Amino acid sequence: MKENPYQPWLATIEDVREEVGGQRPIKTFKLKFQDKNIQNNFSFLPGQCAMVSLFGQGECFFAISSSPTKKGYIEVSVMKLGKVTTALHELESGDTVGVRGPYGNYFDVEGWKGSNLVFIGGGIGQAPLRSLINYIVDNRKSYGKLDVIYGARTSKDISYKQEFEELEKRKDVNVHLSIDVKEDGWNKFVGFVPDNLLQVKPSPKNTIAITCGPPIMIKFVIQNLEKLGFSEDQIFTTLEMRMKCGIGKCGRCNIGNLYVCKDGPVFSYKQLKNIYGER
Amino acid sequence: MVDEKRLRDEVKKTISRDDVKYVVGYEKGTYGFQATPCFAYKPEDADKFIFSPLCVHNLAVFPMLEEKPPLRKGEEPDTRKIGVVVKGCDSRAIVQIIQEKGLDREKVVIIGIPCTGVIDPKKIKDKFPGHIKNVEVKDEDDKFIITVDGKTQKIPKEELMPDKCKTCEYPTPVLYDILIGKEIKSTKKEGYDEVASFEKKSLKDRWDYWEKQFEKCIRCYACRNACPLCYCKECMVDQLNPQWVRRSVNLSENTAWNLLRAFHLAGRCIGCGQCERACPMDIPLMKLNKKIEKEIKEMFEYIPGINAEEKPLLAMFKPDDPEEFIL
Amino acid sequence: MDKMILSKSDFPKVITEIIKKNNVYAPVKNNDTIIFDQIKKPSEMNLDFCNSKVPPKKLLFHQTETLFKFTPGTKAKIESVDINENNVIFGIRPCDAKSLAILDHAFQGDFEDPYFLKRRKNTILIGLSCNKPELNCFCTSFDDSPASSKYVDILFTDIGDKYYVEIKNDKGKQLTKNISNLLKPATENDTKKRKEVEQKAINMISRHQKTEGIAYKLDKIFENPYWKKVAFKCVGCGTCTYLCPTCHCFDIQDETTLTKGARVRVWDTCMNPEYTLQASGYNPRPARTNRVRNRVYHKYNYYPKNYDVIACVGCGRCIDLCPVNIDIIDVVTRAGEVKP
Repeated sequence: MKENPYQPWLATIEDVREEVGGQRPIKTFKLKFQDKNIQNNFSFLPGQCAMVSLFGQGECFFAISSSPTKKGYIEVSVMKLGKVTTALHELESGDTVGVRGPYGNYFDVEGWKGSNLVFIGGGIGQAPLRSLINYIVDNRKSYGKLDVIYGARTSKDISYKQEFEELEKRKDVNVHLSIDVKEDGWNKFVGFVPDNLLQVKPSPKNTIAITCGPPIMIKFVIQNLEKLGFSEDQIFTTLEMRMKCGIGKCGRCNIGNLYVCKDGPVFSYKQLKNIYGER
Repeated sequence: MVDEKRLRDEVKKTISRDDVKYVVGYEKGTYGFQATPCFAYKPEDADKFIFSPLCVHNLAVFPMLEEKPPLRKGEEPDTRKIGVVVKGCDSRAIVQIIQEKGLDREKVVIIGIPCTGVIDPKKIKDKFPGHIKNVEVKDEDDKFIITVDGKTQKIPKEELMPDKCKTCEYPTPVLYDILIGKEIKSTKKEGYDEVASFEKKSLKDRWDYWEKQFEKCIRCYACRNACPLCYCKECMVDQLNPQWVRRSVNLSENTAWNLLRAFHLAGRCIGCGQCERACPMDIPLMKLNKKIEKEIKEMFEYIPGINAEEKPLLAMFKPDDPEEFIL
Repeated sequence: MDKMILSKSDFPKVITEIIKKNNVYAPVKNNDTIIFDQIKKPSEMNLDFCNSKVPPKKLLFHQTETLFKFTPGTKAKIESVDINENNVIFGIRPCDAKSLAILDHAFQGDFEDPYFLKRRKNTILIGLSCNKPELNCFCTSFDDSPASSKYVDILFTDIGDKYYVEIKNDKGKQLTKNISNLLKPATENDTKKRKEVEQKAINMISRHQKTEGIAYKLDKIFENPYWKKVAFKCVGCGTCTYLCPTCHCFDIQDETTLTKGARVRVWDTCMNPEYTLQASGYNPRPARTNRVRNRVYHKYNYYPKNYDVIACVGCGRCIDLCPVNIDIIDVVTRAGEVKP
């Protein structure tokens, strides 16, 4: 716990990897804290987020997309969309940024031990899921069946291509990729992620479903999960709102009486059904 | 005295039309000397409408606040008209907006009320301090008849009118579809006396005065949000790329904000005083706006908000415009 | 609690003594507007007022607060900012003092805000009871009184030619150590007079807001068209949020010159359409209805759910200053009567 929660720690960019190019490019930044003590003590669980600041431009709230089992660095995936993210995309290896965190709540990896897990992701929403998937894979024996369903608009928009290829090679993980529109050379599922989900048909018995992605996708995925027999507390998702402080003080990111930066971003469907607020 | 019954009947007729979404007018406030905007969606709602000297607000701000919610599949956008109840000064705001093509003439139904002066809320609060709940205000010739808790007083209008009414040259709305009452000709002239006497002070005195005022500013932007003519989709102070005015609140940024806003209203401000009324820190914004209004009149002989067909002043030029600053 | 009497002629001496070691903030008149500002002499104070325009939260939660400084660019360094002040706020009304206790909840919790909390710890509150509440004061609707000493360290009550001084805790005792010779113990008559003054003030409050079970009721009417009617008048000016003693929303911006920069925290308002605008262009609160409803719910539903207290103190500033007469007393009382 820091004395001043608004003040970030300094971190250096070790590596920049481009995931997706085109109109809305996504880059993954590997960050290492300049102070070794902080790097060693920075512990987090999958689902938590960090505030990355570019001094002079501002800060943004990102999900930490690397797993906590990988020590020595953290990774965040950034889509170029607004003022700060555009400036971040210009940065190179060796540049300094500020990082503060970890904030938010996390996926209940302890409580889910022994269950089967289904991950449903779309687009940039894969970032928090990647942290979770890699954590689970590193602790493979504690969990049951693993299904990863991920979809993007075209094959060029698929993030983390290399990691998906490695996951597909594993025998203890079932990977189901899809793209929205038919393409030459693509022999896997063509269609939207919620439809792919219906085809995969995971059983709701002792299974937890976690979904992240665009709001419209989440809406249909949850509908289909309920059709398949999943109950409210078996479905988890992450939400996002515009954030400034990240610690539940500035009042911006509230949905009902819950703050997305503090009480989220991970919410169970049961929680979402009971709070009032703009979604 | 304005014929309130006729007002209600006309509003009822207007709202019953198929092509009108709602009509905005005034109704009684919740306490003391207050009138508040009222929206009529059905003919029954029109019974709440009133018009008394307490109706000081400029309702022209509401047609510009219309939000367009995203449409579902197959839904058509609602293009019905909006009815607005306006006094003389308010109608000039609508005319100015039509000039700038911010509004279509066909989109508004203007219900005009010839006005003989309203009451400034700050002045009447000073005159009647304390817990005032039940009031009735009427006007007769050059006096306001104010009944508070049963006791009636007649007070000369000069004492309670806002400054804009004292020099009002357009008591009858300049543009209207329906007029409640007869046209009134103005007996007053805008001589910019206050601006002239302020200009006589030394530069140091004037700067000290404004420094003291701008220090009070809390950058709540109530002046901008309440003004009918500040309707930019993204105001310059909300822009971040580039950031023209910083978010910090200090004398330098406050001065920048107030002066920039006054300049953006040059040739457009019609002097309704809504900004000064909305300002919680009692900053005399109308002084700034009146000064610019005076300069515009002297340089270009232009009065904003009179003729809807005219082109906006700073969007056109005439060959004989003054050029002393260039040559 | 010590109950003492201070004669009005000795009062300036007390203030002068306190000014020696502390920054003293008191109501001053600036061009007809009463605001809280620092004073150097007791004569600068103006106690002929009901309440200040800007609530005293401004002194603890600065409108512009530098969080830290840095050198901008890709090779940056950070420099922290320290806060070391000893403040005394004189003349704070009981409702505003309660608002500071309400704001404590928001700034504490898992992450403690060092700026607000440090100042709060180093500030002593000397309250001044209200003798003449105004029309739109309604602190009694929250079981409070215009002469409540619950949230201040010392409370002054004007009982004619003297002040009734109640010193509540050690902080107050410490402050008045050097002038304790000017304070005399209160007699029974004085205590009776003080009770009369309080009762008279309570009787003057004529407007009441029904707040029983409001959090529960609001849960049921979230989607009700009542909110559209309430919010349609709103022009989104933001005056209510800037002058509300319990509003605490803020924005964080980086402000730089070519060689140095600072990250500042400034007040913000949820009435602004861009408040929740996301970079993708999606805005979860696009219409004024959503924003006005969010504000009412934040005060009367979300805050009670999180911290068990309604985030309104009944100061009436939003009612006095709303340019279109949106009256929170009216809005909430009617919300209680809406059929779900």
